[in-house]
Amino acid sequence: MSAAREMLCDTARAVFAEAATAGMAPIDEAGFGLLLVPEADGGFGGDWGDVNAVLQIAGVMVPDLPVAGLIAPDAVQPAATVSLMAGAMGQALALSIEHVNTRQQFGRPLGKFQAVQQSLAVMACEVRAVEAAAAALAARLDAVGFDPAAADFEMAAAKLRANRAVGVVTAIAHQVHGAIGFTAEYELNRVTIPLMRWRSEHGNDAYWAAKLGRQVSGLGGQGLWEALTAR
Amino acid sequence: MQGFALYPFDPPGDVAALRAELRAWLAVNQPQGDVVARANSWASFDADFSRALGTAGYIGMTLPTRYGGGDRHPLERYVVIEELLAAGAPVGAHWIADRQTGPLIVRYGSEEQRQRYLPGIAKGELYACIGLSEPGAGSDLAAVRTTARETAEGWRINGQKIWTTGAHFSHIMLALVRTEEGSERNAGLSQLLIDLDTPGITIRPIIDMAGNHDFNEVFFDDVLVSLGALVGTRGQGWQQVTAELGLERSGPERYLSSHALLAALIDAAGADPDAAVATLIGELTAEMWTLRQLSMSTAAKLAAGEDPMVEASVVKELGNAFEQDMPRRVQAIVDCPWDDPGDLGRLLRALLIASPSFSLRGGTREVIRGIIARGLGLR
Repeated sequence: MSAAREMLCDTARAVFAEAATAGMAPIDEAGFGLLLVPEADGGFGGDWGDVNAVLQIAGVMVPDLPVAGLIAPDAVQPAATVSLMAGAMGQALALSIEHVNTRQQFGRPLGKFQAVQQSLAVMACEVRAVEAAAAALAARLDAVGFDPAAADFEMAAAKLRANRAVGVVTAIAHQVHGAIGFTAEYELNRVTIPLMRWRSEHGNDAYWAAKLGRQVSGLGGQGLWEALTAR
Repeated sequence: MQGFALYPFDPPGDVAALRAELRAWLAVNQPQGDVVARANSWASFDADFSRALGTAGYIGMTLPTRYGGGDRHPLERYVVIEELLAAGAPVGAHWIADRQTGPLIVRYGSEEQRQRYLPGIAKGELYACIGLSEPGAGSDLAAVRTTARETAEGWRINGQKIWTTGAHFSHIMLALVRTEEGSERNAGLSQLLIDLDTPGITIRPIIDMAGNHDFNEVFFDDVLVSLGALVGTRGQGWQQVTAELGLERSGPERYLSSHALLAALIDAAGADPDAAVATLIGELTAEMWTLRQLSMSTAAKLAAGEDPMVEASVVKELGNAFEQDMPRRVQAIVDCPWDDPGDLGRLLRALLIASPSFSLRGGTREVIRGIIARGLGLR
């Protein structure tokens, strides 16, 4: 990550920490609405890679605030949602790892049991897939100047892939946490409930699968490969 | 496994031109093989095709030119490999030599080994197999018992390998053997490069459930090879093999070996598919696109000299699941009799039968998940 993006992320973490109790005001004041606005127009001049990084943090720290709506135009909200989801899934994985390495049963940490290890490996694969999808979509949006029409394939594929990971990630995260993860107090639900919500927002699985499926059908079998490698 | 950023996949040179040249070459030189063979690209043996591909400069691309290689960037090779697989080209004969044995000889081999083997590999004429599994050492590879004893004449090898893909057509085997007497587990192992026409070696076929002869049993009965057969450092075989497996696990073959089925499904669906078929195509495409991003990122990380052991395992785990699920999901939705003679029906049948092997070869699903768990800090 570039030094500039590193700084941006540090700022985001500090501002979102304040916003978690104060609401949108600190985020508005810090100028996150100007993230994508060109420097010439008085903005930050950021790219979608920056948006992806900031929204992954927002997905963990302020999942209930409309940060994505502040930063990104409506037409790219599906992409913004993928970034929120990638962040929240990363947090669900981190909490799960922390829990199974700490919680002891049968005289050893849960993470020493193969059944638990195998479950978390499955979950980690899903999280990595969504992180990769978010990053690849960001790269495409940057390559086409944030034009949603030119990134339609990637947006559909990434949102669909993220949606499909939600069930696996939330189920395993809760399963390895046991009862404590089901409490209102414990922080796991602060990422798993938003994940369930985001799956429905800006296109559920059926919406994107049908859209992408029809687009690909029009390309033909050979055409799909040619289209994929031409982008 | 802290965080995850996509490594930029940025091969030098004109990638579009590289693809275009290769596609034009394939249009002329790829045999009009059977559709099932095309779906089995990296297990399809065709010596003539391998020789032609080598002559055209598409094998041993990353090997140094002084050994007959192309001195190309590993990511240029990646582009070529994914094109060959997507086209269903019969690359099985030289596959292992090109993918892992050649690079391993460059990295660990002696000058004599490089001069002796690399030019043949780059020409697409010298094929290799990997001698890892044994009857008592499957997933538990550290249980290897085949021994090589150092004598005045050379290494004397006794033991047995099994599940050795392509041993029956290969010229050499890169074998993991126990060179240190009394050693246990992953200590005391070394890699030897063995010419398979050496006296005392017996190769017997094992026919798989699809009726194919891909793997073999290989017996070593007092086999004598020169001391120069040692690859790399004596006793460091485990470390060398582990590094090699990274090459084996993350390539585009982990999600493209069933690509012919996806293409056939799309073609059979036509431009205006019904809702269930469109949904399936959409879901499979999203997964394939994501896997390609992960695989390219892992290749870029490997090319940068890092060791993406965990990322490689993620690619293998997700790729295997994708390829195993695909024929099952197609079967569940597309009305196609078991003995349908069309392309889609034949591919479907062949891949349903072949698919159990996908999460066995190159490390079982359970072993791969164990590696990922270790990367997560759980073991």
